[in-house]
Amino acid sequence: MSAGDLGAAALRAGVFLALWGTGAAVYAAWKRDGRALASAKVAAVVVLGLVGLAALSMMFALATHDFSILYVAQNNARETPLFYSIIGLWAALEGSILLWTAILAGATAFVAFRGTAAIPRLGTTAVAVLFAMLTFFLLLVTTPAADPFVRLAFPPDNGAGPNPLLQNHPLMALHPPLLYLGYVLTSVPFAYAIASLILGEGGDRWLVATRRYALVSWALLGVGIVAGAWWSYAVLGWGGYWAWDPVENAAIMPWLTATAYLHSVMVEEKRRLLRTWNLALVVATFSLTILGTFLTRSGVVNSVHSFTQSALGPILLGYLVAILVVSVGLLLWRSGRLQDRGPVGTPLSREAIFLFQNVVFVAATLTVLLGTLYPLIAEAISGAQLSIGGPYFDRVEIPLALALLFLMGIGPQLPWHGASRMTLERQFTVPLVAAAGGAVLALVTGVNGLPAVLTYALGAFVAATVVQEFARGARARGILHGEAPLTAVGNLFRRNGRRYGGYVVHLGIVLVAVAVATSQAGSVDAEKTLAPGETLVIGGYTLRLESLRTVDEAQRSSVVADVLITGHGASEQLHPALVQYPNSAAAVGSPGIGAGLRDDLYTILAAFDQRGFAWATIRVRVIPLVSWLWVGGLVVGIGALIAGLPAPRRRASAVLPVAEASAPAD
Amino acid sequence: MRGRIVAGLALLVIAAALVLALRPHEATAAERVDRITSELRCPVCQGLSVKDSPSETARQMRDLVVQRVGEGKTDAQIEDEFRASYGEWVLLAPPLVSWNGVIWAVPILALVGGVLVALRRMRAAPSDLERPTPRQLAELRERVRAEEAADA
Repeated sequence: MSAGDLGAAALRAGVFLALWGTGAAVYAAWKRDGRALASAKVAAVVVLGLVGLAALSMMFALATHDFSILYVAQNNARETPLFYSIIGLWAALEGSILLWTAILAGATAFVAFRGTAAIPRLGTTAVAVLFAMLTFFLLLVTTPAADPFVRLAFPPDNGAGPNPLLQNHPLMALHPPLLYLGYVLTSVPFAYAIASLILGEGGDRWLVATRRYALVSWALLGVGIVAGAWWSYAVLGWGGYWAWDPVENAAIMPWLTATAYLHSVMVEEKRRLLRTWNLALVVATFSLTILGTFLTRSGVVNSVHSFTQSALGPILLGYLVAILVVSVGLLLWRSGRLQDRGPVGTPLSREAIFLFQNVVFVAATLTVLLGTLYPLIAEAISGAQLSIGGPYFDRVEIPLALALLFLMGIGPQLPWHGASRMTLERQFTVPLVAAAGGAVLALVTGVNGLPAVLTYALGAFVAATVVQEFARGARARGILHGEAPLTAVGNLFRRNGRRYGGYVVHLGIVLVAVAVATSQAGSVDAEKTLAPGETLVIGGYTLRLESLRTVDEAQRSSVVADVLITGHGASEQLHPALVQYPNSAAAVGSPGIGAGLRDDLYTILAAFDQRGFAWATIRVRVIPLVSWLWVGGLVVGIGALIAGLPAPRRRASAVLPVAEASAPAD
Repeated sequence: MRGRIVAGLALLVIAAALVLALRPHEATAAERVDRITSELRCPVCQGLSVKDSPSETARQMRDLVVQRVGEGKTDAQIEDEFRASYGEWVLLAPPLVSWNGVIWAVPILALVGGVLVALRRMRAAPSDLERPTPRQLAELRERVRAEEAADA
């Protein structure tokens, strides 16, 4: 029995067990039946084992180049290195859906054990919802539309090999799984929200139960998006990291609504407000993950990622419609029980800022959605061909992003209910001075344009509020517990990780914003055809073409230009190349990047003398501060980790609440 | 009071910086080429602009823009020339004709409408929030004293 047979059999067995699990969980929730719940738990674990086995079988088939499987024949070749063979699991549609199913099975099993113990009935209902979704995905991977184990009657001698862009950089191992984890984990808050609506619980228990899932899926999505931007920067060879490509849009939309949710959820926890709204955000986030998958995997929109077109589109669309109909129906049915108690505070209260922030996030999401879909709509209605790209999105999203930076600075500094003038003065004097410093810094360093100057000013503003919060918190702990500043900061993280981890996330976002603004406003490029030994000068750097050479490997052959860049006290040898893969007509550019804390030097071999290597056309872009974008992504991830770690149990102490109340923000 | 003066000064500096950032200046030829090419779609790429694309086609289009800027054509004239040969499709931000207004109106309407709905749900700022009354202050002080005594 080959790996392919094993995987196919495991998936087919999984369908039946998932169906059984769905039924058992529904019965267990309905009749509060412990034995049915136990049965559902066993089913969840076995399904996870089966889907995991199928994924491993596929990896094994890829690693051993088993071309009798169509997927392997299309996405692998004998020459593909082991590493890129194994990660070929997510190199194309069918494998990606298999990975998706495996993660969903993991989430289902996890909730079946952890969630049903904490809140039995709600958790069990959520498991039933998760099982139903898992059944759908298992059905999907066992129908011809997305079956990864379809066999070939006459296996070819060698496969076509992976898409060249997918075997060019090790980040491919990281970026898709992170995104998929983020996508799939949004199913858990969604399942709990649906469970809460089905059971008609007016309460907020679903929200407390899924807080951490929401945070983790949000963080993985965010880090996955940054990793994707990094991959695109390192591989695609145009010196940018974000092109408002439909698949990027598909990833950013659920991240935007999830960010809105993570904030508005605090309003519900503290003030018992926005109940319907929070449910709607959870539904929107989950639906947008499915919509994104539909858009990018069905080939309805052009994207660098639409590697295949398949019959999957209509099925996913049907799934999406079903989810929306059920969710909206439940929300309308239960809306009577979800009435808010009391009004929101004044416009200068923390909950009001959260509300404004939510409005901006939703407007930003709508913009991305509309910008992605409008060309389709316009063509369907009038047959007009038009494009919506960077210039449109930049014009709308940059002002919205600046508004969000501003709200990020003031929101955490305002108390719930409303702020007095005294509070405003106490909270904002230092940050305003910092903002002035940021604006001046932008002008002095020659960062041009209103958006960039505003980003610097607002970034400094936010950073100062965060530093002020840490300083005040640490000082309070110093006075009350006699702790040294560093110990105090550590304890702030440990005891109130959600709040202080959140501030770290905000710092990471500031880094990202400053990196994006600077790299967009301050990039310079040049292009010149050089003979070996000749130089070109750009932005204070001198680039010299040293030599041209060919490099032959088993799976590809490349022409490499060795260039030496000197300037600003640095000297670096870079190797931009043009890489020829056997399965691709055109050569793929592979940039040579000199990363630095100040500037990145991004070089591309645009063309070369095919006969005698007598000349090469080199394109070079000096991109300031872009490295800080990846650092910012990492800081966001670390902040989310701090916020997600369980807090130690609170001692019953009369002192501690006073200590934390001394920072007026909470 | 001092805080208010400092904050006021900081706001003045910020305003001055923004005015400086907005000061009109004559665009150089290179800046104009960058601006125009960033609005044009590279016809052989997946949604990249002519400015960003490393492709040969984009290079030729860039050269044409450089030439036209050199000839003294206006930005609009150059864009029109590309629209005539490639169609509306070549512009990455669709011009405001026929239904295209929708894509500019929807974000603005969502924002304004959302803010209005949010404001309607909020309380007006009550003046008594500004400063606690002497009696409230005395009560609070008393509570703090009591809690501190309980601790000790």
